[in-house]
Amino acid sequence: MDDEPKAEVITPPDTLKKKVKTGGPGAVDGGTLERAEAVIADMTDNYVEWAAKDLAKIYQALDNLKAEKKDRKDALALIFQLSHDMKGQGGSFGYTLMTILGGTLCNFVEKLEDAGSVEIEVIQLHINAMALVIAKQMKGDGGKEGVQLLKGLGLVAAKVSKE
Amino acid sequence: MDTFNLERLNFLVVDDSSHMRSLVRSVLHGLGAKHIEEATDGADAYARLCTYAADVVICDWQMSPMDGLEFVRLLRTATNSPNPFVPVIMLTAHTETKRVMEARDAGITEFLAKPISAQQLGSRIRAVIEHPRPFVRAESYIGPDRRRRQDPDFEGPERR
Repeated sequence: MDDEPKAEVITPPDTLKKKVKTGGPGAVDGGTLERAEAVIADMTDNYVEWAAKDLAKIYQALDNLKAEKKDRKDALALIFQLSHDMKGQGGSFGYTLMTILGGTLCNFVEKLEDAGSVEIEVIQLHINAMALVIAKQMKGDGGKEGVQLLKGLGLVAAKVSKE
Repeated sequence: MDTFNLERLNFLVVDDSSHMRSLVRSVLHGLGAKHIEEATDGADAYARLCTYAADVVICDWQMSPMDGLEFVRLLRTATNSPNPFVPVIMLTAHTETKRVMEARDAGITEFLAKPISAQQLGSRIRAVIEHPRPFVRAESYIGPDRRRRQDPDFEGPERR
């Protein structure tokens, strides 16, 4: 039809293939990938430090919420940002629980306009759980303790959603 | 399957988290990349691209003041854009389907959910090298062709 909006198709210059050599020393093969994964594993100690620093910031933001300061939206935004970062980082270093807990916390906080005592308690429980995971270096699913942790938080979340 | 040497490619890593930038930089080094620049948000990245000829941009979504989506839209649509066709791999902890669609509609080239692995990042870089996509310039969209699968037998009006 003549009145349909027209779309122009453009073929960009294929500069990448021209710049990239194929094969030979330095090409990304299975060994390179294994070494690159090992680089991430070697950064695990750094990750634990980063997470501890982020947790300190998130506790500070929570204190601001509890103190009922005027910048409550900023505190919630910071808690969202940090928990979102934790969701995105933990699993790379084997801390799957941090990714799960960061995910549930940022999903919870994202929907909040403000936080009352119940919401603050939920946030507190999540942060405490993440602090425990880092302090005890609970990798993977955290074993029995990790399962219990998630189960407990799940019950809290279910209770809050009913209220 | 061809193996690629990344040492001549210029990468720009855009993330407001210094931890994440450090992780991505280390993985890229591990994959053999030599030229890696960093930016801390979309506005910083746009400014960096005015002086740095990036071949691949690896960009977070959740950043301020300019987030990853705003950056990609600006990059693709601005009349004075320094590099409108550069492949953008969006690397984000936003993993919901509607978010993926939103990123696609902003003009990203590849999507990678955090947490990342070297294997996954390597596969996305391989994809942008091996399968360069044509660009579409339409009234409501400018960016890589969103139709991944070309079906020559399709006869309907909506091809996406």
